[in-house]
Amino acid sequence: MSDSTTTTKTQPLIFQPKPERAAPPSTVGVIGWMRENLFSSVSNTLMTIVGAYIVYTFLSAVLGWAVFNAVWQAEDRRECLDLVGRSGACWPGVIQWFDNLIYGLYPKDQLWRINFGFLALILWVAPLWIKRVQSKVAIGITAVMLYPFLASYFFLGGEKGIIWTVLISAGLTGLIWVWLTTFTEIRSGKSFTRTMGEMLGASGKSEEEQLKFGRLSLIGVFAISMLLVSQWELSFVSTRQWGGLFLTLVISGIGITFSMPSGILLALGRRSTMPLIRLLCTGFIELFRSVPLITILFMFNTMLPLFLPVGVEVNQLLRAIVAVCLFAAAYMAEVIRGGLQAIPKGQYEAAAAMGLGYWQATALIIMPQALKIMIPTIVGNFIGLFKDTTLVSIIGLFDLLNMARSVGEDSRWLGLFIEPFFFITLIYFFFCFLMSQYSINLERKLEAGARR
Amino acid sequence: MLKKIVPVAATLAAALSYTTAASAQQTLQTVQDRGYLNCQVGLPTPGFYGLDADGVWSGMDVDVCRAVAAAIFDDPDAVEYQSVTSAVRFTSLANGESDMLSRTTTWTAVRDTQLGLNFTTINFYDGQGFLVPVDSGITSAMELDGATICVLTGTTTELNLADYFRANDMEFTPVTNENVNVLVETYLGGGCDAYTNDKSGLAARRSAFPTPDEHVILPETISKEPLGPVVRSDDSNWGDIVRWTLFGMIEAEELGVSSENVAEMLESDSPAIRRLLGVEGNIGEEMGLPADFMVSVLTHVGNYGEIYEANVGENTPIGIPRTGTQNDLWTRGGLIYAMPFR
Repeated sequence: MSDSTTTTKTQPLIFQPKPERAAPPSTVGVIGWMRENLFSSVSNTLMTIVGAYIVYTFLSAVLGWAVFNAVWQAEDRRECLDLVGRSGACWPGVIQWFDNLIYGLYPKDQLWRINFGFLALILWVAPLWIKRVQSKVAIGITAVMLYPFLASYFFLGGEKGIIWTVLISAGLTGLIWVWLTTFTEIRSGKSFTRTMGEMLGASGKSEEEQLKFGRLSLIGVFAISMLLVSQWELSFVSTRQWGGLFLTLVISGIGITFSMPSGILLALGRRSTMPLIRLLCTGFIELFRSVPLITILFMFNTMLPLFLPVGVEVNQLLRAIVAVCLFAAAYMAEVIRGGLQAIPKGQYEAAAAMGLGYWQATALIIMPQALKIMIPTIVGNFIGLFKDTTLVSIIGLFDLLNMARSVGEDSRWLGLFIEPFFFITLIYFFFCFLMSQYSINLERKLEAGARR
Repeated sequence: MLKKIVPVAATLAAALSYTTAASAQQTLQTVQDRGYLNCQVGLPTPGFYGLDADGVWSGMDVDVCRAVAAAIFDDPDAVEYQSVTSAVRFTSLANGESDMLSRTTTWTAVRDTQLGLNFTTINFYDGQGFLVPVDSGITSAMELDGATICVLTGTTTELNLADYFRANDMEFTPVTNENVNVLVETYLGGGCDAYTNDKSGLAARRSAFPTPDEHVILPETISKEPLGPVVRSDDSNWGDIVRWTLFGMIEAEELGVSSENVAEMLESDSPAIRRLLGVEGNIGEEMGLPADFMVSVLTHVGNYGEIYEANVGENTPIGIPRTGTQNDLWTRGGLIYAMPFR
């Protein structure tokens, strides 16, 4: 009672915060950041200065050589040397050889075929990045299974028999289907076959019936592409003339694409309980992993022809690609096995408890987790493989590295070798950086689930 | 690692190729069925097998390939060039990958007798020399004792160098690489006191230096480098075709038949010219070629003197003068000599 009287009489003491003062200018903005991170102590300041000096010397030397002192127009290297000596880069040689560096010795009037082939690939996989597209798995599978037929015809050309025509048409059908289905899915959320089914099949019919019509429309697309393909006539370009970045991408692209599924199968085989399969897989993996890639390339390139009957010639590029594929598969198998072993036993038991069989459990429970864990290593492997393909230059394929080396052997550009190597360094960096960025991107996306 | 694999692979390849020898007497047939010649050249090297920005091969050795293709198909472009590192050149020929090898390969006893291969004849006489900076004051190879020397690895050049220094009781430190440009760059950067290679290559390299006048080729030639096309030893008829195509080109120069006057020369009364061009006799037919195969060769490619001047002669960037050297005709004091075409 007594305290109630006191509270009513005195004014309540309320805390009144003073308005916040602005942070001192030396701790905010660029200056603040620099003070905190670059000049927080004497030793840090010293390191900053030394570091800045190193960066400056390096950049000014490289840029001075590659840009400011460089020659951009000259007839031959002698002219470059007379203009700036060795203090600046001589780019005209690289510019003149640009087509060779990118496309190899491919006939110059046929270069559009390579461009088209890669454009088709980009078109094919582009829908994978469109959010509303649902048939991503199907698009991915067709890209791996059907795109190679389309691309190989464009790259190789020549006579095509009935079987080839059918396969190429299948490739073209795939590309057309991908975009038809992308459009219908963006518009209505329904795949192409379903949309066509609803349009063609009378509305009264069951869904099954409608789908049948939808599939028929796919055959229609195939017929159209068949008609188109039979009109195409591309001249034959021997794989001997393939080269440059194009060849590097073909070899590493096939190697990377092949290594994934075969690596998964080999890894599963190695962990299989069936002795024969386990033995075969282990034998294959150990054999190819314990031999350097260069030896395998030599084996396939120089030894294999000896065991073939006289007159039988297996394409040299094909042999190199097979060698790279087998090698990559063996390495990938061990990477994936590492991922499989990181999956706790409980996951297998849980899958079994849900009544899933071996393949279902592997495909739905185990593999997605194993692959997710191993993304950095898998992509690391891809990058390694991409760079390893330079070894094919030793067996006489004109990949990017070999082509760069040839610039300095052209009598007009004799001795010019730092410039082309600088140029292809940028190309290699671009592709490797792209791959590693993609992997980081993928990791973030997949981790979103774990964070929730 | 390469160095160890290569000899083993080459020997194995040679051994295996012997086992199939009986069935291999048909290179010409294989080539004709295929429709083009697989001719092995080396990694691009100006003058001998150069590659230009348009992707066209040219050079002394490339012209030998073109001549053989012209002899067989009457088409000098019916050739697929296989550009292979020198490390695998013999394996790649022995295993049937290429039909012939035309790539500045030195004729040595070991190569001729132990690899299951045959040298046909010689299309260029080369010799190894040294390149040194003028201001080093060195004027003779004998003054190179204790020097650091840049040398191409995996070739006879490396062995010749060691031999020369051992024979003259001198010491040297080799700096090796398999890329000529890297070696030249090392040499220019002062990484070695001298650069050694076949003299045909030295002059060309020097011409591409920032300051060619500051470097000099020493007078000594420390080795014999007879260079010529090579075939497998299991098919002597095929070897004959390559050899006599080249002999024919040399003979043509001697007789004064060139790509320009070959059509008129068909009417010539000289028995030697009539035999060469197939107007008389059946030399071509006996080898499985058209009787007038030399007409095709001379029309499309030219005689020896013509290919020399077009590829390595004085008016080319390589610029090797011919008069009075070993590569001149025997009638003018050189070593270029064809066996009688009869």
